[in-house]
Amino acid sequence: MKKIALLIIFLLILATSLVKNSTKEIEDKIFVLNESIRSLKIELGNITLEYNYLSSPDKLIQYQSQYFENELIKIDIMKIKEISEKNNIIVLSDFVKKANDE
Amino acid sequence: MSDNNPKIILEKYENKFSYRKSKTNLNIQFNRIAFIFFIFLMISIIFSIQLLHLGASKKTANNKNSDIINKNYRADIIDRNGNYLAKTVSSIDIGINPIEVIDKKKLLINLQLIFPNKNFTKIKKRLNNRKFFYLEKKISSENYEKIMLLGDKSIKSEEKLTRIYPQKNLFSHIIGQIDDDNQGISGIEKFFDKELKLITKPLSLTVDVDIQFLIREELVKFQSIFRSKGSTAILMNVNNGEIISMVSFPDFDLNKRETMNDLNFINRATKGLYELGSVFKTFTIAAGLEEGLIETDTEFLNLEKKLKCGKSTIAEYDDKISSNLTVEQILIRSSNIGSVRIAQRLEIEKLKSFLDKIGVLKKIVFDIEEVGEPISFQWGKCKLATVSFGHGITTTPLQLAKGYAIVTNGGFDIKPSLIKRNYDSGSNKKRIIKEGISKKINPILRKIVTTKEGTAGLANIKGYEVGGKTGTAQKTTIGGYSRAKVNTFAAIFPTSKPKYVMIVLLDEPKTSTDYIYEYKNKKGSYKGTPFNTAGWTSVEVAGKIIEKIGPILATKYIEN
Repeated sequence: MKKIALLIIFLLILATSLVKNSTKEIEDKIFVLNESIRSLKIELGNITLEYNYLSSPDKLIQYQSQYFENELIKIDIMKIKEISEKNNIIVLSDFVKKANDE
Repeated sequence: MSDNNPKIILEKYENKFSYRKSKTNLNIQFNRIAFIFFIFLMISIIFSIQLLHLGASKKTANNKNSDIINKNYRADIIDRNGNYLAKTVSSIDIGINPIEVIDKKKLLINLQLIFPNKNFTKIKKRLNNRKFFYLEKKISSENYEKIMLLGDKSIKSEEKLTRIYPQKNLFSHIIGQIDDDNQGISGIEKFFDKELKLITKPLSLTVDVDIQFLIREELVKFQSIFRSKGSTAILMNVNNGEIISMVSFPDFDLNKRETMNDLNFINRATKGLYELGSVFKTFTIAAGLEEGLIETDTEFLNLEKKLKCGKSTIAEYDDKISSNLTVEQILIRSSNIGSVRIAQRLEIEKLKSFLDKIGVLKKIVFDIEEVGEPISFQWGKCKLATVSFGHGITTTPLQLAKGYAIVTNGGFDIKPSLIKRNYDSGSNKKRIIKEGISKKINPILRKIVTTKEGTAGLANIKGYEVGGKTGTAQKTTIGGYSRAKVNTFAAIFPTSKPKYVMIVLLDEPKTSTDYIYEYKNKKGSYKGTPFNTAGWTSVEVAGKIIEKIGPILATKYIEN
């Protein structure tokens, strides 16, 4: 009985050490991945910041006056149309329905 | 001889021991040394499988958390579309310790090559002072490489965390600033100081960079046209209180650290307390409808042109206003005397309770600390009369926006907010005024914009069903009123199913002689501002703003 108990304890310790070793390897991989994600996140943050700056309304207005002065026009909401499909037929309707008092 | 007995015992013991041994069939003999070895083996195995390491790794994990709470961490702030409003970046400051300088002349020549625009007579003086000083804060990576390549021991670099605000002036009153110790000193930075140091994800606000920009552009443009002291605009969702834009002008660049003592830079939207004038008439009429004392077609006959109350006289702003008016006409024509008559029917308690319910009487709970507290006053007969048309009562434009949202959204209570929260669609809504009030008020607000008698025709932008009420009020001085005015327009759109409330307030605007107005309800234009009233100033600004932001609101926010 004692022999079996000792054997079980020994096997359990052995199994635990094996499991722990493999866990350690996974942990290492997770750590490496986390570190790469962290650096990628920092990079993404910086790129997003740059994108935010370059695509900020302030900059867009500047680009418009510099390059697209006559090409970009203000949208008139009354001219926006909505596309829908009814019985396989494409229907164009006004995006904004005219109010009764207009 | 009893001394011989132990020998016998020893023989018995030996027999017993051999008996046991044969019974267990154990080949290994366990003696003390073997047991100690076994224990050592166990300990070494425990170490080899790093059970102890587990505990240690937990500790490092805890350390990581404590690093997050450390004073150098601060979460970013983003708008509703993920654009950065505030971001923490690491920067390097370059300092010089003059004591360690070996060759001053050589160092100065080298520094001059790297920083040609710096004032080197000052730097020379500082070098002679023999005290450490900062040469360049937040140095560029290019210049950092150059300066470190000099290899001078006296040049010291310090890594610091810096808060940058990529939108510069755009959100100066909302975001606020931090001090050198990472402590928030104003705005969101102060109110959410603790949270910003703890949360790992960016703090998401309800504001929209594009809309904020467009509204600010218009305020800046009209600042030069109407030469006002300042202005503010708030755009809020009437159904959930989300603030999409809040601009207060003049503003300042958050990236520049300056001490500001000029009160003109206060956040007019939340901190500015104003007597807002006729915009309050909507509340007086809504209170009358709520109490069932009036209907929109209730007629008030033989209205006086002037009323005496104590020392002051209450008069109509326009003598042409008819003496017989319905409730609807009182609001459209903005009749002061008509509003007084409605308030007199209501009596103090009912009007006071209504204004309290919609949140214009007490200090509002908001997401920044810079909030004004309405000045308390003693109610009386004269006060009741003046409050009915928005005089003798102060509140902030933010509270006005809240009041208009409640009156027009079907009577649901809302809490103006700058922080994006997940709202439960409808189930948590609490109705605080009767459902039918909005259905009666909204069409009247629309008529103020569409009809000839209305005061806000310039805001009738096609496609958006704009409705609203104007308010022109004289500013108070010690013991009376000055000639300076506060012109306000409270707009809602679309009036058939309100989604947004917009407040535009101009602080002390002046008339313009050159500005050309394009009529909205009829053909033609008009040069110059005929009257310094809200209808000719803040309504025009609001109209231009809605024209600009309307397409974004109608398309981008279609799902909201």
